[in-house]
Amino acid sequence: MSKQNNRSSYLGADTIALHAGYQPEPEHGSRAVPIYQTTSYVFESVDAASALFNVEQGGHIYSRITNPTVAVLEQRVAALEGGTGAVCTASGMSALFVTFVSLCSAGDHIVSAGQIYGSTVTLLKHTLKRFNIDVSFVDINDSQAVAGAIQSNTKLVFCESIGNPGLEVSDLPAISDAAHQHGIPLVVDATFATPSLCRPLEHGADVVVHSLTKWIGGHGTAIGGAIVDGGKFDWAASGRFPTLTEPYEPFHGINFWEEFGPAALTMRIRAEAMRDFGAAMSPHNAFLLLQGIETLNLRMKQHVENARQLTEWLQQQENVAWVNHPDLESNPTHDVASKLFPNGAGSMLCFGVKGGRACGAAFIDALQLSSNLANVGDARTLVLHPASTTHSRLDDEAMIKAGIGPDMIRVSVGIESIRDICADFTQGLKAASKALQKQQEA
Amino acid sequence: MRITVNQQNVFVATGGKEFNPELPCVVFLHGSGLDHRCWALQARWFAFHGYSVFAPDFPGHSLSAGEPLTSIEAMADWLIDALETAGVEQLHLVGHSQGFLVALEAASRLKSRLLSLTAIGTAAAIPVNPALIETAREAPMKAADMMLQWGFGQATQMGYSAVPGVQPIAVGRQIMAANPLAEDLQACNDYTQGTVRAADIMCPTQVILAGQDRMTPYKTGLELAKLLNTEAIRIESGHMLPIEAPKACLNAMKQFFTRL
Ligand SMILES: Cc1ncc(COP(=O)(O)O)c(C=O)c1O
Repeated sequence: MSKQNNRSSYLGADTIALHAGYQPEPEHGSRAVPIYQTTSYVFESVDAASALFNVEQGGHIYSRITNPTVAVLEQRVAALEGGTGAVCTASGMSALFVTFVSLCSAGDHIVSAGQIYGSTVTLLKHTLKRFNIDVSFVDINDSQAVAGAIQSNTKLVFCESIGNPGLEVSDLPAISDAAHQHGIPLVVDATFATPSLCRPLEHGADVVVHSLTKWIGGHGTAIGGAIVDGGKFDWAASGRFPTLTEPYEPFHGINFWEEFGPAALTMRIRAEAMRDFGAAMSPHNAFLLLQGIETLNLRMKQHVENARQLTEWLQQQENVAWVNHPDLESNPTHDVASKLFPNGAGSMLCFGVKGGRACGAAFIDALQLSSNLANVGDARTLVLHPASTTHSRLDDEAMIKAGIGPDMIRVSVGIESIRDICADFTQGLKAASKALQKQQEA
Repeated sequence: MRITVNQQNVFVATGGKEFNPELPCVVFLHGSGLDHRCWALQARWFAFHGYSVFAPDFPGHSLSAGEPLTSIEAMADWLIDALETAGVEQLHLVGHSQGFLVALEAASRLKSRLLSLTAIGTAAAIPVNPALIETAREAPMKAADMMLQWGFGQATQMGYSAVPGVQPIAVGRQIMAANPLAEDLQACNDYTQGTVRAADIMCPTQVILAGQDRMTPYKTGLELAKLLNTEAIRIESGHMLPIEAPKACLNAMKQFFTRL
């Protein structure tokens, strides 16, 4: 399990983003990827149909399992990450669920970073628990804690390359070393990073999961997810993965590892999870996400540059109590960020408005350009005040315990002209300052 | 299935069905640095249509133990031993690239036991540039990258795949990363008996060639077809035909086998 570069293509990343997985189809020469808005595909013959059902031939049967438009996106995401294959799903959450249950069965265990997306915490802590899959949350950058949490029934270590919402960067080489020493794969949610900024497979990860909804789609138009198979993990040598190395009865006892090797996980997910759980991506969403992916590298440059400038600007504002971004020296994982993210650690930042909860709310309400909503990774600047929304039921003390101060504003920095973002935030900070004055007068 | 050949544990893919030596047997032989998985789709079809499939990983490759064999002749001897162990009497041989050289050489030992011979993306001789062999010795991954760039055709280089969602170059790369390469390439280069052996073949033969082949050029494949006294079938793909154009490749094989 070496850390040598993974690759699926000898094209440059910008070319992959535009071309991988599709060449103009011969009948009409459509330059853009066509939307194959169909549920099913006519079989050439009864014999050809049975060959498709028995994985004797590649091809499409039914759009819950594969679809030509979705397949282009899958091949493009796989190529950008350097994986052996990818499966796209209806959302980032379904991609995570599918990954967990393809590798784990009842009685198994997951070691996860504690600082991760809230819905993923819920999935691991409450939902999977109902199916007798257990989780231990650890400080992911404490290698000893990771190793110490691994049990005989542990099937994977999970983290986000940049944690949501704490913006801690995971030390992927160290975490993967700890996992691999126990014969366990590392699964990384790379939503906040995108393959444009960091390719986890090159740093020891074995499986990469994305919410394509965010920066990869990039325009706030479609929900989607992807699972990328690194193809490097030896499922047989690990001895922990009967779902991949033992005969699978529904397909005439197929053994995914023996038959497909580096693409075993992709084939298993396709054969089982897409068929049985059915969290398929719609072809139209695949088309929208492909429009996004084509300009991913260009957009990420601007996202990162705007985040850098906004961070600097915020640090100079009187009404700002603190600013957090992984590229700031004050971020506890700054060193790891500069190793794994040489071109900048994404475009999420957090800051505190002086005066706490009420002032944070006043800041948000005064904004006109930036959108107050529950998403990240749109081309437009998005803001959220967790204390008034996602975490409004918690009191100040409970929020601080959860690592989210009542004054915290979360910003997904967009690609507008930076001076307009700063002008908008100036309005917000003025309103926050007024609210603080009122508080003090009262 | 797993068998023991010359005291070594060997993996033989059987196309997803239990191996039955009573059925007509099709033996699939992989190319340099690769393994049985390049036959994943063709092997399954044969296994589920009345044949028994025997697709070994050569010693030291992927799931088979042992040191890599260093000559095509030694590989042919090894194949005969492996077939003996599995109780295979009569058989059809299918070889891709280097695998076909082994098939040619094995044919001279099998004589009337050989029912047919299929050549895929190959030639009677596969001279290898000494610089590539040297690179394979010094920096095997670099050599593998060179071969993957020449070996896969234009569509695959552009990220196209016959199996939705899979990236064939990355799959090939992961397989090659763990397998011997310099030994295989040297063995190909050293093998000079191909033309003589081809002239001696008595059983039905077919030759399936890749139009964009940059490893064993289409023209040299045509010469092989001439030697075998058969027509060549041309498929628009790179050298990695069984992976890049699995359906066209299988269709050609099916037609040939039904004519036998
Ligand atoms: C890091 C991370 N992973 C996964 C998800 C879930 O993605 P989706 O909303 O596409 O289901 C999100 C959504 O915010 C996220 O931020």
